[in-house]
Amino acid sequence: MPKCTINGQEVVVKDGATIIEAIHHNNQKIAHYCWHPGLSVAGVCRLCMVEIEGNPRLQIACNTVVSEGMKINNTSEKVKDAAKWGLDFHLINHPLDCPICDQAGECGLQDQYMEFGKYDPEMAERKVKKKKVVDLGPTVVLDTERCILCSRCVRFTDEVSKTNELGIFNRGDRSEIGTFDGKELDNKYSLNTVDICPVGALTSKDFRFRQRVWYLKDAQSICTGCSTGCNVKVYFNKEGLFRVKPVFNEKVNGYWMCDEGRDIYKFVNKNARLLKGKKKKPTGFEEFFPGALAKDISSLVTADPGKVAFVVTGQFTNEEYDQVFSLWTKKWGSKNIFHWLNSPEKQNEFDGLLLRGDRNPNTQGLLKRLKDFGISTQWKDLITKINTHEIDTVVVAGPENPIWFPDFKEKLASLAKAKSLIWMQSSNHPEFENVPAGTYLIPLKSFVEKEGTFTNYSGLDQKFSKVTTIVSEALTLTEACTLLAGENLMIRPDPNVLIAAHPTADRVTLEHRKKNEFVFRRGAL
Amino acid sequence: MFQLSNEGLTKVKKELQRYESKDSAIIPALYVAQKENKGWISPDVIHHLSQVMDIAESKITEVFSFYTMFNKKPVGKYHVQVCCTLSCALNGARELADHLCHELKVRAEEMTEDGRFTISKVECLGSCGTAPMMQVNDRYYENLTPESAMNILRGLK
Amino acid sequence: METKLLSEHYHQDDFQNLAGYKKQGGYQVLAKALKMTSQQIIDEVKASGLRGRGGAGFPTGTKWSFLPKNNEPRYLLCNADEGEPGTFKDRLMMERAPHQLIEGMIISAFAIQSAKSYVYIRGEYNEPIRIVEKALREAYEAGFLGKNILGSGFNHEMDIYAGAGAYICGEETGMISSLEGLKGQPKLKPPFPAVQGYLRKPTIVNNVETLAAVVPIIKDGAAAYKKFGTEKSPGTKLFSLSGNVVRPGNYEVPLGYPLKDLIYKLGGGMKPGKKLKAVIPGGSSAPVLNAIEAERATMDYECLAQMGSMLGSGAVIVLDDSNCMVDMLGNLTHFYHHESCGQCTPCREGTGWLNKIVSSIMEGRGRLQDIDLLVKVADNMKGRTICALSDAAALPVLSFVQKFRDEFEYFVREGRSKVRGISYAQMHH
Repeated sequence: MPKCTINGQEVVVKDGATIIEAIHHNNQKIAHYCWHPGLSVAGVCRLCMVEIEGNPRLQIACNTVVSEGMKINNTSEKVKDAAKWGLDFHLINHPLDCPICDQAGECGLQDQYMEFGKYDPEMAERKVKKKKVVDLGPTVVLDTERCILCSRCVRFTDEVSKTNELGIFNRGDRSEIGTFDGKELDNKYSLNTVDICPVGALTSKDFRFRQRVWYLKDAQSICTGCSTGCNVKVYFNKEGLFRVKPVFNEKVNGYWMCDEGRDIYKFVNKNARLLKGKKKKPTGFEEFFPGALAKDISSLVTADPGKVAFVVTGQFTNEEYDQVFSLWTKKWGSKNIFHWLNSPEKQNEFDGLLLRGDRNPNTQGLLKRLKDFGISTQWKDLITKINTHEIDTVVVAGPENPIWFPDFKEKLASLAKAKSLIWMQSSNHPEFENVPAGTYLIPLKSFVEKEGTFTNYSGLDQKFSKVTTIVSEALTLTEACTLLAGENLMIRPDPNVLIAAHPTADRVTLEHRKKNEFVFRRGAL
Repeated sequence: MFQLSNEGLTKVKKELQRYESKDSAIIPALYVAQKENKGWISPDVIHHLSQVMDIAESKITEVFSFYTMFNKKPVGKYHVQVCCTLSCALNGARELADHLCHELKVRAEEMTEDGRFTISKVECLGSCGTAPMMQVNDRYYENLTPESAMNILRGLK
Repeated sequence: METKLLSEHYHQDDFQNLAGYKKQGGYQVLAKALKMTSQQIIDEVKASGLRGRGGAGFPTGTKWSFLPKNNEPRYLLCNADEGEPGTFKDRLMMERAPHQLIEGMIISAFAIQSAKSYVYIRGEYNEPIRIVEKALREAYEAGFLGKNILGSGFNHEMDIYAGAGAYICGEETGMISSLEGLKGQPKLKPPFPAVQGYLRKPTIVNNVETLAAVVPIIKDGAAAYKKFGTEKSPGTKLFSLSGNVVRPGNYEVPLGYPLKDLIYKLGGGMKPGKKLKAVIPGGSSAPVLNAIEAERATMDYECLAQMGSMLGSGAVIVLDDSNCMVDMLGNLTHFYHHESCGQCTPCREGTGWLNKIVSSIMEGRGRLQDIDLLVKVADNMKGRTICALSDAAALPVLSFVQKFRDEFEYFVREGRSKVRGISYAQMHH
């Protein structure tokens, strides 16, 4: 544990720590692009220069290991000057197209120039021209001119995803990143390259031109895409959620998350949601306030709780399971609780990095609570009981992200054979159109609208907080079950509800993007 | 689609065994392939090598595009490279290159219409004491004058 | 007069072959060396004061002693990626005396206890590659390479690797990257190659001339070697003389030899009617000397360093008074722009920037402040990158502008060359 001083402040660091790690650990600022804590050291941007007492030459902080008694300075004029010029070298061939650049507002070049820059550019020559709008694959668009060749994305595909699609081709200032002709940047983790790109060279097809980042707020949460439980930030404003990015957690996901996980925001936005309580009539759906509806249909459940089955997915919080199971088992003495896993044969699949076959964030929490409450039921028993009318009412707490439940349609069809079906879920689903008359649909809250705890595959409990409210009338599972039990419940209205996205404006955006698809073709411009 | 000849394939396989690191065979393999592909490396060459060598195309492309001896576009039957760096420039190399282009009615880096010649201006080839010089395919010609250089080119079959 | 410690027999055609080489006592030094201990050889090389002949001039024996003291496999790499503009001595050595290099390499490999070595030759050197390949076969057949060399129990394998056109592969870690099958981009130091080099194993990289010089050092001893040259620059060195001289070529002289003798006595002086204007004494990266400095300079590490330049690879480029220094600097900035590997930002962007500024001046678009800007940009490229290419690109700029500023100012003001009286367009149609 060597001790060093950074800008006069004494700091103890871990053995083998580099200066840049020490500086970060000490919450001091240092200019850098190529260094990323989750990747190998490249040492090429040459920005993180520091002065070390006794060494006449400036050294890069990312490749210098702290030794005992080292006196490090990164605020001297010499260091500042080196950073200024380092930034200017980065900028001389970087196009100043910030007004039309999607990275503006969260751009490393902008931010660091404001912090460390020279403010007096002297480049009067023509900039090197390179390809703009290069389609790299299904998820990412490249602007070769904006690239500052920090090599983070190349190192990511070499070291983390190990897919090797990207390379830096040519040399000198003709160097550019890219993929081999005809090969796409197409892997399950490709969008991490967008996250780590310090400039607007790599942008996400899904997110680009949807929102200016300064119109977005962010909040931390847990990814519900699988049982890994990556720590994420969700970005939102009054129109809804726009993207999901990973947040560092050493124990769970490191710095990364998978591309599929980034889609979870799509399931919670209004257009994907059940907005109202509904009852299927022969003529179609009739809408109700969900709270009132749940209360109304409680007679179905309370009439003979022994004939009611509760089907639950691994998508709810431990707190919800605790309260609901307790209600079911203690109040009614019923152990007719069945758990629905998506594709049970894939439960233990794992891609070696983050993505797991179990597409529920809280299977472990669910299984533990089923065990705690002494529930051990088999799915096939449920089907038998429905067929023999031992069960006549089924209450389902369905998945938030039904497209990852390949058996959704089949489950819906088999459960619809019960005399009464009450389906509670946050997302809408096209199959709901086909439910038999008499079926009730009750909208639930999504993970961003409530707080709670998920237990990930390894048994780690992760708490998360409420981010915002999207569907004002949606209920938590606890609220819904309490109402089903016929009890009174005070649900406070949420004043801070997201407005609906402007449908016309959104359509225009979509059409505009479609029209511009042609420029996404490789090297079209 | 480009395919290595049997002989070429054998050579590449031998290079794969020759060095401690498999990647070390990329440069030798590119040489073999370039010879068999009329003097340049096209994308299908890289694709083929990637399959033969089991090395990602992006890695081969990185190497191919980094080194100047691999041609990025078709070159003439005779690739004439005139060194134009300092010592040669001091001895009239740039004028020599211009003269060759003028005589062959072609611009530098472009191929003559008959496909026989490409004239390139290149950086130091290590013939500074015998400047000016040119390299025609694998061979050095040194102590040139514009006339002697043209005579050499005219004499090529 | 030359002092031909290495090049004595270069004029004999059969010196290229094993038979001819042996006729002149070839491989007898190897036999002697194999009877010594490794440490004795290292000590002898250290005592000789031999400094790396590739450009950096680092003491060879000291470099060898950086290797870890254990039994970890280590590599010896011969740097024959001769690319520094003006340098053509390694080519001569490989073409005329491949066995001298091989003998020097085996002795050096024995000294550092390396079982495997590579000769990394630049790809354009087809002839040297062919000749060294043939010599290697001969050496294997004669039992100088392979298992149990000359019954000593020492095993050594040697192979060739051909580069493919990149100046940067002459930088030792760039060469290691290239040999590993990657782009020839220099590696971060630390770790240094002696600790982690080729395939992350300890590696020593030495220039062709350095390795060949081990032969006479072991043959006659360090003391005899030190009789040549100066105290801090012992021995002889091959100087590649080129540019505007009557007899360009490679000349072997003791270090400390007067530059003017090299140009006038050995090189035959300037062409008729021309006067000496400037000399680049150590390859294109070395700061230029003006005629007055060239008069006083001696060819050794300390004198040239003291004059603000360097001995480098020993490539002496002579410029006469008919040359426009702006044009010549443009030639060099073009070279470094072309050769920057592109990984470190200051070098990647700086080399391009410098080249564009000089081009602007030559094309009549220059501003007076551009001359100072050249200096500023070059100053900020120095000492900021992984390898020395950035410095190598900056140093000529700084010295050209400093010593021939009037020519730059004239070009900016008049739009034409002060020396040649014509514009850039007229110079290069």
